[in-house]
Amino acid sequence: MSAIVSVEDLVVGYGDTTAVERVSFTVAAGEHVTLLGPSGCGKTTTLRAVAGLERPHDGRIVIDGVPVYDRGAGINIAPEKRGLSMVFQSYAIWPHMSVADNVAFPLRVRGVPRKLARTAVERALALVDLADFADRPATRLSGGQQQRVALARAIAFETKVVLLDEPLSNLDAQLRLQMRGELADLRRRIGFTAIYVTHDQEEAFSLSDRIMVMRSGRIEQQGTPAEIHAAPRTRFIAAFLGVRNIFAADIAGASSDTVVEARLADGTVLRARDPWGDGRGGHAAVAFRPGAVHLEAVAASGRAGNIGTVTRSLLVGDMAQIFICSGPLEICALARPRSDFAKGSSVAWRVDPDDCLVLRE
Amino acid sequence: MVTQQTRPSFLPAAENAMATSLCLLLAVLVIAPMLAVAFGAIADGGGLSARRLATVLASTRIIANTLFVGVGTTALAVAVGGALALVLVRIDTPGRAALEQFVILPLYVTPLLTAIAWSWLGSPRGGLINLFGREVLGIADPLVNLHSAGGVIFVSALAYAPLPFLLVGGALRAMDPSLEDSARIHGASPAKTFARVTLPLALPAALGSAMLVFVQAMGLFSVPAVLGMPAGFHVVGTEIYRLINNYPQRAGQAAAWGLLLLAVTAVFVALQAAVLNRRSFVTVTGKAFRPRRIAVGPVRHFLAGLVWFYVAVAVALPVLTLAWAALVNFLTVDVKLMAFDLRHFRYVLFTYPKTYLAARNSLLLGAATATCVCAIGLAAGWVIVRTRGRMRGFLDQVSMMPLALPPIVLALGLLWTYVGLTLVPIYGTIFILLVAYVTHYLPFGVRAASGALRQLHPELEDAARVAGAGLAKTLRLVVLPLTRPTLAAAWTLLFILAMQEVSASILLYTSRSTVLSVAVFDLWEAGNVNALAALSVMQLVVTFVALALVLRTRQREVAA
Repeated sequence: MSAIVSVEDLVVGYGDTTAVERVSFTVAAGEHVTLLGPSGCGKTTTLRAVAGLERPHDGRIVIDGVPVYDRGAGINIAPEKRGLSMVFQSYAIWPHMSVADNVAFPLRVRGVPRKLARTAVERALALVDLADFADRPATRLSGGQQQRVALARAIAFETKVVLLDEPLSNLDAQLRLQMRGELADLRRRIGFTAIYVTHDQEEAFSLSDRIMVMRSGRIEQQGTPAEIHAAPRTRFIAAFLGVRNIFAADIAGASSDTVVEARLADGTVLRARDPWGDGRGGHAAVAFRPGAVHLEAVAASGRAGNIGTVTRSLLVGDMAQIFICSGPLEICALARPRSDFAKGSSVAWRVDPDDCLVLRE
Repeated sequence: MVTQQTRPSFLPAAENAMATSLCLLLAVLVIAPMLAVAFGAIADGGGLSARRLATVLASTRIIANTLFVGVGTTALAVAVGGALALVLVRIDTPGRAALEQFVILPLYVTPLLTAIAWSWLGSPRGGLINLFGREVLGIADPLVNLHSAGGVIFVSALAYAPLPFLLVGGALRAMDPSLEDSARIHGASPAKTFARVTLPLALPAALGSAMLVFVQAMGLFSVPAVLGMPAGFHVVGTEIYRLINNYPQRAGQAAAWGLLLLAVTAVFVALQAAVLNRRSFVTVTGKAFRPRRIAVGPVRHFLAGLVWFYVAVAVALPVLTLAWAALVNFLTVDVKLMAFDLRHFRYVLFTYPKTYLAARNSLLLGAATATCVCAIGLAAGWVIVRTRGRMRGFLDQVSMMPLALPPIVLALGLLWTYVGLTLVPIYGTIFILLVAYVTHYLPFGVRAASGALRQLHPELEDAARVAGAGLAKTLRLVVLPLTRPTLAAAWTLLFILAMQEVSASILLYTSRSTVLSVAVFDLWEAGNVNALAALSVMQLVVTFVALALVLRTRQREVAA
């Protein structure tokens, strides 16, 4: 019952295309939930539908116990009546107002008396370290400062829920890292509920309590950052998270087995973990990270490993990415550079069953 | 928060209400007069008949004259305006910055005043040029005769050439110079590049401006009334005026003429759309390019001379003639007889009874028109730029329709709509003129506002909405302040244009709702040329002061 936002069977479309296809999720009070996915996956549209800035075709959205959109009941509450705050990708700082006027806007239009509003604005600006900038015209700010004004504006009225639409994507890499830290810090101090949209997995993993990975208008997987990192459910998510080795495989064993045997296209049989416990369907794949691949020179390998030939070796910092050719497959491994892993050498490779994950399509 | 009631349409209520009321308003403003003209043309007693249409179609002389003026004016104006655009935008013409400002001035001098001034200069017997030829040069035959079909086309083209100049010039500026570069690199000579790349890319703008000029020229009243009627040269515009203003009024016959004009302009618009559809290409990317100027060597001085010649003929000469006629005691070319004083100004200001009323009405109408058009333009522009759906499409289409509606036809439509409509008793008041002006200038306001809105990141409004501001507050606190520079410039230009409108006013005014342009025309018909000149000069002074203000505020914007 602690869900402060709940979205049920949300459908949003533009013309003939459907941007969001039956998306459902709930956000608990104080939780930071991230919608993660590549551009065009429907994450921003979902967020904007929660804000009331997009008109859904179907579904139901409840914020703090109040249905704000319900197709069945014919409810569609205007964005200004939903009691939300939002940080936009473009910051949307009004150029004709000062910094303080920008931050005061949500308070003023909601009828907060001038005196109270001033205190709230000062507090919000202090929280984002902009106390000295209150009277500055909003146009005379750097990108990072504009970002902070947008944040201050979003927290000034102390709404329960703050929506954040790719708030850091317009910043350069260094500033983005810094703002990420400040954002986490700010939320720890004030404790608002955040729904956060990003395509940057690092941002998602470092800020979120829970991540929902979206693809083509649907939520493909949700879980804590640790859960998703440890077990991406589908080939799409594994690839999106940058898992290098993803191979189609024939799986032997009952669907309830948690450890199964997977036969790859080159005939290699790997023991793999299947945590899902549901039907595997016709197509399956296995995934493992380069760091999970153990390499040994063939001569040294006492036990039987899978044998392949090194095709190239790229130095990445003090490790090397070693690409091994085995039949039609190219396996990427991460190892300390060694002379017996040079191009052309035969190597034995293996992956622990715990590190080799069975994927759903 | 829970008190929000259900909305079956699922459009947020405020947006829905605004879009719906705009659709209704535009239907009343734009579509009702067109339907009324069609109805007036075929209504006959209690029934319907094509009798009046047949009469109209049998008047082949007037139809031929009108088409001659329409096509001739369009061709000449597009040629002159297009050439001006090329010379001032794409060639390193000396003094082009100043010239660009000067060549649009004919829009503000107005066709009526240009025609009157040229009538004094070029009438076959009393024209100053011909008097000068006879008395100074000793040539008995008139040098020029502007009281003719050629005179009507010449003066109309001079007055309307700024429209093609603005549109073609805009297209040339928005053209990516790399399109021409790549033609050159792939082996085309400069001339071939011009013919095969530049001209075709400027074609949509040229055709668009041709459409605008054609619609104006087909329904033209002022120039043919001044230059054509004395020579027995009648067009549809003057014919409609005659049918409405002579007793007994024959409004049905006039409506038949109006319907014919509507049909012709509709065909022309459809043709233009067909040509543009077949070759649709995006040259206007919204990106501003620095147009590459072609260095033409010493020829550039000659080209600058030609542009100055246009400015002299279309602006300087008419304005100087008016000023001279306002100050001289009576029109003569004999220097010994010329005496100058302010008696005509005194007469117009203190004796002529209509001046005060007309000036007050014109100022009121100018301000009211500009305000209404900017307000409707901003609201309609917002729906067009920011929403999707059927109402958006309707507003987008209908708000541009007045461009294809000659003002004299619009006025006819309003007569047929509001005469006898006691429910809305605006006939005979300045409100019917306001309705006419607002409708006529609506496309201008919608274009200006939607252009400004497109420059505005939509998230600026989204942010205001989520922060708790409703649609009205968002428009007032965010959209209006951010579009204010554009709207202020549009307001001033609309104020000037509305103060000068003739073609619609001439059918709609009554003695109590007369306006300055009508007063000028009255004085012309009465032959009181000096008073006319004095009144015109005062009107021009107000116009140019207002224009100078627009230019200054615009320059401040650029500087800020």
